[in-house]
Amino acid sequence: MISRKPITRRDFLKVASAAPLAGAVLPGLAVPKSKPAADKVRVVLVRDPSPLGAGGAPPAEVVQRMLDDAVCALLDERDAVKAWKTLIRPDDVVGIKTNAWRYIPTTSEVEQAIKRRVMDAGVAEDLIGIDDRGVLRNPVFQKATALVNARPMRTHHWSGVGTLIKNYIMFDPRPADYHGDTCADLATLWALPAVKGKTRLNVLVMFTPLFHSVGPHNYSKEYVWDYKGLIVSRDPVAADATGLRIIQAKRKAFFGDDRPLAMNPHHITLADTRHHLGVSDPDRIELIKLGWGEGILI
Amino acid sequence: MTSPNTPGPERLASFIPATVGPYLSEADQTFDAETIFGYIDGAGEVYRSYQMKLLVARRFHKDGRPDIVVDAFDMGSSADAFGVFTHDLEGEETGIGQGSRYKAGLLSFWKDRYFLSVYAEEETEETKALVLELGRRIAAAVPGQGAKPGLLGLLPPAGLDPGRVRFFHNAALLNYHYFVADANILLLDQTTDAALGFYGAKGDGGVLLVVGYPEDSAAAKAKGSFAAAYMPEAGPSGTVRTEDGRWSGIRLLGRTLAVVFDGPTEASAAGLLDGVEELMKRSKGRDLRLKKE
Repeated sequence: MISRKPITRRDFLKVASAAPLAGAVLPGLAVPKSKPAADKVRVVLVRDPSPLGAGGAPPAEVVQRMLDDAVCALLDERDAVKAWKTLIRPDDVVGIKTNAWRYIPTTSEVEQAIKRRVMDAGVAEDLIGIDDRGVLRNPVFQKATALVNARPMRTHHWSGVGTLIKNYIMFDPRPADYHGDTCADLATLWALPAVKGKTRLNVLVMFTPLFHSVGPHNYSKEYVWDYKGLIVSRDPVAADATGLRIIQAKRKAFFGDDRPLAMNPHHITLADTRHHLGVSDPDRIELIKLGWGEGILI
Repeated sequence: MTSPNTPGPERLASFIPATVGPYLSEADQTFDAETIFGYIDGAGEVYRSYQMKLLVARRFHKDGRPDIVVDAFDMGSSADAFGVFTHDLEGEETGIGQGSRYKAGLLSFWKDRYFLSVYAEEETEETKALVLELGRRIAAAVPGQGAKPGLLGLLPPAGLDPGRVRFFHNAALLNYHYFVADANILLLDQTTDAALGFYGAKGDGGVLLVVGYPEDSAAAKAKGSFAAAYMPEAGPSGTVRTEDGRWSGIRLLGRTLAVVFDGPTEASAAGLLDGVEELMKRSKGRDLRLKKE
């Protein structure tokens, strides 16, 4: 006999303030039909089994191929350079917003793969910047007309998970102003003048995600694994929502139960339902999976 | 800025050895509640939630071996030092300080008004031994002992899992330990103190939350808010059976509010509330709330 855990008022008080509970169906409600792909936001997950280097990334040529395959699939193009030329104009000034966290950075392999394709799209090298904490002082970012947003996903003591949405927090001189209600309104970062309307691509790095946080430094080698993936999308919310599903699936596999993240990562859902930055509902996301399938989790 | 009652970083730094084994230490970094984000980003909110005053971070380095980092927090009170220690109780007790946990290269403990984290960036036999040695030496250098929050004295001891008791102030940390609601229906904030206890072998004996508010009126307002949002159908007994067949209950005791979740029976939920009331009577009106500076 299959036992079904009832939905309690605690579940309801979580769901009511955010969004539909993904995967949960209240008694008496029909299971909704999936939406056709044409109505969905596209997200590409690409993985490769190559061994990771000391910095936590596959070899540079593998990362380039992964990124190229993902961008081509995302944009329905056969040629990566042609695809990038639909994202970036030769007269753009491009900031590649990276993430320099000590334990799991974006990695130089990802940064350089993006930079190469931005240059292939016709942008001069001196008009491309790569930065994290210094974006407000960086002259390229100060005059950027286009941004490429690239960061790893990891669990986080306050926001639940570190996300593409959150990666723009360094565009505000007072990042702590966004910590209220456990970072509920991080999506408002995307309305800052330095950011608004400029993001051409989002790359969520899933080479070695962190799926559980401990200690002040939020990190333990025990809680990372070699997933060897990249998630690529025009929509940061859809990419983050997809990454979160992988983190949650890993937690379930590791801990053997459905334990929630320490902090509710509601900023992803609220980026959709409150701030309309993108799509968080898996039913509205067209997920294209490329490459290595072992241990894919979703 | 540190408060006038907070000793400077020199005293905090004096508790930390300059070397351990073959490791040498680098220059200290000092942070307060405003600057901590520059060190550990948004995770600093956890320590701000416990009113942290000062952090001295010291990194130990030896070429070719994993770094070890000591983070020494002056929390301003022993209650908050205990509280932030209870934020993460994974791992094994080591006997260091007044309470400790060690797991996978991370030692945390509290003593007096201080919370310490000693972290090896990679656990090896050597780093584990050095982390524990650092912990023991730091604990020995801290001269005082601190009292646990008085509010813990209102958690009835029968059936309480002592390894899962938490102390905190705000709604975010309540939901961290035990999710109640996205909205702050108990009106918790930095002026409230809260003790959370789990009863039974796996918390199956119920969960008890005891909250101290600054004023009677604040507690009464919180009771009304909680009752309206969570248990509007509750009668005079203050208990209600929830959708999963478990029992919740609430009782207002002056400026203290006791709430039971997931009691296996109505009698068990009421019994925990009765227990809080009895312990309050025995405390003879002593103010069990944390004194604010």
